[in-house]
Amino acid sequence: MLFRLPCQLLLAISWLVVGNPVLRKRDADFESVRTRLTKDHSGKGGDPKQKYFHESTFHPHYDGRFAEKVLPNNERHKYLSEMMQTYLSTMNDVGAETWIMHGSLLGWWWNRKIMPWDSDVDVQMSESSIEYLATYYNMTIHHYRLPGTPGGRDYLLEVNPYYVNGSTTDWLNVIDARWIDTESGLFIDITTLRRDREKEQKGLKGHMMCKDKHEYLAADIFPLRDSEFEGTPTKIPYAYAGLLEKEYGSKALTNKNFENHFFDEKKMEWIPNGWLNRHNGGIAANTKPKIKAK
Amino acid sequence: MSKNPNSFGANTRPQFTDMIHLQELETELIPGTEADRRLIFIGDVHGCSEELTKLLGKVKFEHGKDHVIFAGDLIAKGPDSPATVDIAMKIGASCVRGNHEDRIILAHNSLHAKVHPLPGPQEDPHVQEDFLDEESFSHGDYKDRALAKLLSEKQIKWLKSCPVILKVGPIGNYNGGGDVVVAHAGLAPGVTLDRQDPFLVMNMRTIDLQTRVPSEDRKGEPWEKIWNHHQSHLHPPNQRTTVIYGHDSKRGLNIQTYSRGLDSSCLKGGQLTALIIDSRGKQKIVSVDCKKYSG
Repeated sequence: MLFRLPCQLLLAISWLVVGNPVLRKRDADFESVRTRLTKDHSGKGGDPKQKYFHESTFHPHYDGRFAEKVLPNNERHKYLSEMMQTYLSTMNDVGAETWIMHGSLLGWWWNRKIMPWDSDVDVQMSESSIEYLATYYNMTIHHYRLPGTPGGRDYLLEVNPYYVNGSTTDWLNVIDARWIDTESGLFIDITTLRRDREKEQKGLKGHMMCKDKHEYLAADIFPLRDSEFEGTPTKIPYAYAGLLEKEYGSKALTNKNFENHFFDEKKMEWIPNGWLNRHNGGIAANTKPKIKAK
Repeated sequence: MSKNPNSFGANTRPQFTDMIHLQELETELIPGTEADRRLIFIGDVHGCSEELTKLLGKVKFEHGKDHVIFAGDLIAKGPDSPATVDIAMKIGASCVRGNHEDRIILAHNSLHAKVHPLPGPQEDPHVQEDFLDEESFSHGDYKDRALAKLLSEKQIKWLKSCPVILKVGPIGNYNGGGDVVVAHAGLAPGVTLDRQDPFLVMNMRTIDLQTRVPSEDRKGEPWEKIWNHHQSHLHPPNQRTTVIYGHDSKRGLNIQTYSRGLDSSCLKGGQLTALIIDSRGKQKIVSVDCKKYSG
């Protein structure tokens, strides 16, 4: 993995240092991080001033500084998978503690993969790790060589400076950091799992919360487990099954028909409805050669 | 597999580093008709080493003749976890992984994990970030870490060797000649041992009647009720599996046709219980009284 700061950003910083001896907090606007686009598609113009991250003008799951259009579903899935792999691998390399949650945890439970209909992936991070990333890794670019991607791809790690404010009243900044694919504009939202200090003041111990208002018991998350997701080592919260039952109901652990897909127990894959008829004349699934996962 | 198209257990069973899912007990340890051997199953000891010694004395444990199998939660909460593991290792016992062993093993691994390895260029090298075991640490699992530190590498290694599920198999004609399986909290009926969810095997208390998904809370039906119902409908009877488990001290000693709950709440001043099966397939229950270590 190569590791460099975007030169535009370095220039911006040196200009600030030379032109103005006091370093001001500023956001990474289009001009300072732009790659191939000539026009900014971020929704910055319409967002309140205190909001740090801006979703694109065309879709909330894209960063308008790097993309101007949504991807077709099958392509998006490939980008999501590569983004997850590079994120987990980078966090593991730098020693930041992160784990998968929500829809990604449910995908992991079924077959260790992102569910084909998911439009994003969900991760959480510990308080000390977000502080660590903010201190040493903010605005770093991580270059990955990926199979089938000539020239590789750059991922940007951007920390929201408002991460220091842990209050849920800061509702414009519930996302503490992003792992951004600078080619597709897709990103992973990173939320910090914090001690619930309000509850602690009331004498309640072991409660945790995120700025997005999700609440957990510390004992349900820690100690973390080691497993794999999208073929990459990942951490899993301690009480994964209980967390999934609480969030999605126990049906989510048995329902094999979901979002126009069915779960094939032989292949351990979610297969789109109608796939057999289109590809096979309706012959049983196990007689068909294996579908490529990625 | 169950005929229900949406049955629990269809997923790829979660797999983790440092966790053995399923093991079979060596056949030479199983009481046959000739040798005068015994299997001794013991419920949640929770570090009550004194009571364990007393119980082994009361059942007249004999090296080479008897084999002890712990149903998990050998450690944590009670007075002396390291001494308890030492006894278990010394008598060559088998064990299954309880929710407390699971926590302590994971906490031990996290103590040795590489997190924030490099101080930054501007960081004062004299500042040490060593707050992992303090109560103020944002993880809240400092108790697990503290116990993990009390145990030696050898003891941790032994605990890691305990599978989530131990298949003993048939013990002569015991309980109709079906399989005997040890699991800390319980098993989901109708799901093969290989596809049981490890977290639920170590934590379940109830099963949701509609979805048949086990859960650690007490809202559904007691898991053993569904288990016994399911087993009694399997034919022939030697297809029926008997589960020996612990975990549920609230329900206490709980002997049913195809389940044997052995957690008689030693930690809270109840008893420590052993279930003995001899070479004639006869079952006997022996317990000793415990001091009250916790409310």
